[in-house]
Amino acid sequence: MTEAKKEGKNEGFEPNIVAFCCNWCSYAGADLAGVSRFQYPPNIRVIRVMCSGRVDPSFIMKALKNGADGVIVTGCHIGDCHYISGNEYTKERFERLHSIIIKQLGVNPKRVRLEWVSASEGKRFAEVITEFTNDIKKLGPFKR
Amino acid sequence: MEGAVLVIGGGIAGIQTSLDLTELGFKVYLVERTPSIGGRMAQLDKTFPTNDCSLCILAPKMVEVFRNPNIELMTYHEVKKITGKPGDFTVTVLKKPRYVDETKCKGCGDCAAKCPKIEAPNPFDMNLGKRKSIYIPFPQAVPPIYLIDPNMCLMLTKGVCGVCKKVCKADAIDYEQKPQDIEIKVGAVVVCTGFDMYGEELSSRWGYQYQNVVNALEYERILCASGPFEGHVLRPSDHEEPEIIAFVQCAGSRDLHENVPYCSSVCCMYTAKESIITKEHSENSKCFVFRHDIRAYGKNFYEFTQRAQEEYGVVYFQTKISTIEEDPDTNDLIIHYEDLKTGEFKDFRANLVVLATPLVPSNGSKELGEILGIELDNYNFYKEKSYFNKLTSSREGIYLCGFCQGPMDIPETVADASGVASQVATLLSPVKYTQVKEKIYEIPEKEVKYDDEPRIGVLVCHCGINIGKYVDVPRVVDYIKTLPNVVQCEANLYSCSSDSQERIKQVILEKNLNRFIVASCTPRTHEALFQETCQEAGLNKYLFEMVNIRDQCSWVHMTEKEAATEKAIDLLRMAVAKARLIKPQKEEKLKIEPSCFIIGGGISGMTAALNIAEQGFKAYLIEKEKKLGGNLNNLNILYPIQEDASIILKEMVEKVERNPNIEIILESKIKDIKGYIGNYDISLQDTNNEIKELKVGTIIVATGAQELKPQGLFQYDEKNKNVITQLELEQRLQNEDKSWLNEIKRVTFILCANARQKEGITYCSNVCCGASIKNIDILKELKNDLEIVALYRDLQMAKKEFEEYYRNRRKDAMFLRYDLDNLPQVNKAKEEQYKISVFDTNLQDTIEFETDLIVLATPMIPADNLKELAMMLKVPLDRTGFFLEAHVKLRPLDFATDGIFLCGCAQWPKNIQDSISQANGAAGRASRFLSAGEITTSGLVAEVNPDKCIGCGKCEDVCPYNAIELIDETKEFEDISIVIKKSSINSALCKGCGTCAATCPVGAIMVKHYDFDQIGAMINTYLLEKVKN
Ligand code: FES
Repeated sequence: MTEAKKEGKNEGFEPNIVAFCCNWCSYAGADLAGVSRFQYPPNIRVIRVMCSGRVDPSFIMKALKNGADGVIVTGCHIGDCHYISGNEYTKERFERLHSIIIKQLGVNPKRVRLEWVSASEGKRFAEVITEFTNDIKKLGPFKR
Repeated sequence: MEGAVLVIGGGIAGIQTSLDLTELGFKVYLVERTPSIGGRMAQLDKTFPTNDCSLCILAPKMVEVFRNPNIELMTYHEVKKITGKPGDFTVTVLKKPRYVDETKCKGCGDCAAKCPKIEAPNPFDMNLGKRKSIYIPFPQAVPPIYLIDPNMCLMLTKGVCGVCKKVCKADAIDYEQKPQDIEIKVGAVVVCTGFDMYGEELSSRWGYQYQNVVNALEYERILCASGPFEGHVLRPSDHEEPEIIAFVQCAGSRDLHENVPYCSSVCCMYTAKESIITKEHSENSKCFVFRHDIRAYGKNFYEFTQRAQEEYGVVYFQTKISTIEEDPDTNDLIIHYEDLKTGEFKDFRANLVVLATPLVPSNGSKELGEILGIELDNYNFYKEKSYFNKLTSSREGIYLCGFCQGPMDIPETVADASGVASQVATLLSPVKYTQVKEKIYEIPEKEVKYDDEPRIGVLVCHCGINIGKYVDVPRVVDYIKTLPNVVQCEANLYSCSSDSQERIKQVILEKNLNRFIVASCTPRTHEALFQETCQEAGLNKYLFEMVNIRDQCSWVHMTEKEAATEKAIDLLRMAVAKARLIKPQKEEKLKIEPSCFIIGGGISGMTAALNIAEQGFKAYLIEKEKKLGGNLNNLNILYPIQEDASIILKEMVEKVERNPNIEIILESKIKDIKGYIGNYDISLQDTNNEIKELKVGTIIVATGAQELKPQGLFQYDEKNKNVITQLELEQRLQNEDKSWLNEIKRVTFILCANARQKEGITYCSNVCCGASIKNIDILKELKNDLEIVALYRDLQMAKKEFEEYYRNRRKDAMFLRYDLDNLPQVNKAKEEQYKISVFDTNLQDTIEFETDLIVLATPMIPADNLKELAMMLKVPLDRTGFFLEAHVKLRPLDFATDGIFLCGCAQWPKNIQDSISQANGAAGRASRFLSAGEITTSGLVAEVNPDKCIGCGKCEDVCPYNAIELIDETKEFEDISIVIKKSSINSALCKGCGTCAATCPVGAIMVKHYDFDQIGAMINTYLLEKVKN
């Protein structure tokens, strides 16, 4: 999976984005975005997990391999994890994934992101997703 | 006797009390006068000292209350009358009209969206934000039911409009609702009415009348991402970002003129928090704190205030404020103050001022006190029956919890809630479990085998117009119908209504479905409801899946119907793919041994043992010394009640000894602890090396703390008989013979000796100031002409009685304030005569004097050998060596590992009153399990596939709950047998987070309901089978 380096014109490109949200903070933040009617692009498909610590790097790889143009993992802020320390492992694993696999495989690291969103950050959830979607749109389709 | 309890007030105190009470076997009526539970904690942005998002940790508890079948939630109700006696009270509660039928309202918000733009200040946002005349106080409100403000509503005031009634698809608006009296019968009452924060009540010198002066609660809303300014720090006057923000401490507290003589006790900490968060929000802002004493006496609190200064550059001034005035041209504020370090009078210009104003009993406390017939104290808090049991009111059967009894922070409130629940359980123990209902499912669960062909039913919700308007629901239904295994797919108006539940059951039974999916709102609030419905139809509740097409689809893509519809279809396709693979799960029941093992026979351990025993369970109380009592044995007089410690101790020991349910085990050591919640095997060894084995269900750690002996500091060593610690002074005072005092002319107390330092012991021990003042008083009484000097840094007198205790005694000694950078110098002048030189920061001068007795108030440090114990219990210690609780805010008495609890000074230095409260709380936490007699494990746990497991132990390392253990397994290969390690997960302890599964290098762990194949199927379906419409 080596990615072509060009960033072309991507008009009309609607990326496929997989988002993993932990149940306790970031999924709740996504709900609050809804309750507050903060609008964001409709490209993401959320997969709810109990804790961001559940997100196995293989899920991210699978998504990229099968046609996702971007993958975003969201969890509670460090220190806030409902399971005490799950997100610390997420972070560790994620950093490893970023530095080794993504770079070695030539995937643009911008396509995979980790963000912390709390249950009261509805606005932030919408902003993070908007920004991520726009970034992916700029990058263009992920050519495998 | 009634097996039900009335809890008044739905803040964190009431929430925790209610939850604990139901777990102890009681029905709860939770009465809250506002439209939602959540209280003050819901208004906070973050919580100190961890800066946890307040609502993130509170909201799950609010939802838990909402779903609990044994809590009758009575929001927007008020208590009007009470008659009867403990065990049998009759209470009249007034139900205020919401003008919205709560049985019909779905919380969709269509009404508020259409309500003509008449906007009123929203009290939840401290009136900084606006709401409509039909509203919910905040998005996460529980219950999520709207109400009409009768003073604002055009229909109710003028008889015109009626728009909400027209748009409400659920037909829930009822302009005719009238107030209604409801009578309930309860065995006990718990009052949790919380606090208000001063604003307008302050005298004008604090400047609250100016727009850009806010109190700290208002500032919490300003900081909050879901607050009126969406988390941008803005000034109310011009909505500009302030550059210079001044936080003014003790604005009206500890002030006889403002009529608030006590210290509100949490302000130093929240100010540090608010200043840190401010810096995080806008780096360019400059934060200044105008402080008095720093009173940060909880775990890691003092360090937190230091961090604000050192890491975030918040500047602290030690000052006395005279007035705050506005510059009318800029709306800036000018603070006129005295700098206590230099004695100069100065002015300071700030763009925004945040006042730490007094926290007072909530409005209406007095009236409620009259209704309930309970007394108030001098400060209008509810008065406790005795100092040592602050949870009981002056009237038997009525209990107190949280701030309504006196200033306290959230962990203390939560600990008290558990303590109250356990005391109620003792009072009402004969009627436990008489009024709670356990859900009985009439239709037996049908067997669903793994190779049964999936038969999936899908319900797609319109949610009024909330989904239907932005997502083409009929198209979604048509599409989903075509998917393999989908037997039935239909739409409806409100999936959560009770007729929909009947419909779901009917479909499941008629179509013989073995999976069910609802696509509607968020599983966080509604999954449990639908799961229950499935189970009622005989379908295992884990065969249900929920899809969120409202909060995360229709509501966030309101202008893109096409894309939103496509997204809804995708989300449903993914859910169908997962549903094909989900399996029924069993919730197992584990028996709990009805006994508790309490480690440590001090005041905390004895209190916990008594509480457990009085609830009717067996308590084993182990103490390493020859006698019970711990540190209390060494104390003389207890403050602020001025009672003899030995009398209190004797009473307590007698009670413990007399209780047939308590077995006291002295002079014994713990050899080994094995097992898990419900079934611990403990072996003990006494001085004769005899081994004793116990089997217990729960464990409470009450190992206490000890006083630091500051060898070498301030001339403290064996040779200098008259340089002693506080505890050594207590022992001298305990002695009949006080002749040693004859020779003494001048005593010097040095406070914070070896505490609150930059390195080494950085914390504040919280009790030394009070103890010193008490001893100063005693010495003065023993010898009137004794001169006493007290060298202090800040006086830690934060409890409601303490400020006054100090005020009444401050003339007994000369108080000189010193600085950490300028420690007092102590030199030996001659035998038992010392020369002290100290730089007094108030006078800005060095003072030298001689003294013949020095008393060092040194910090408490952890008891010896805790590491060993912690290893046996498999629970963590914190950086300072005290035990580390599960969550500093909301689980102060629990360990992360279920079944083991914590109280007293083992957790952190604290005074006797707090130790007793915590001990009752820990006993309450432990007895929830003992009362139930069994625990139900969740079906959503992780499981190891032993064939794949390589025994590397990585999973064991990452599990925060100690649920994973490597066990030896013997493998036979023809004639050799080898022992290999395999991971094993205890489903009683597993919480299903799945971190182990993601960590396992060989994929040997599966997480039920969130397994590789299930999540994989969702990913594949979304990406590989993508449909273009
Ligand atoms: S629960 Fe949110 S990251 Fe662990």
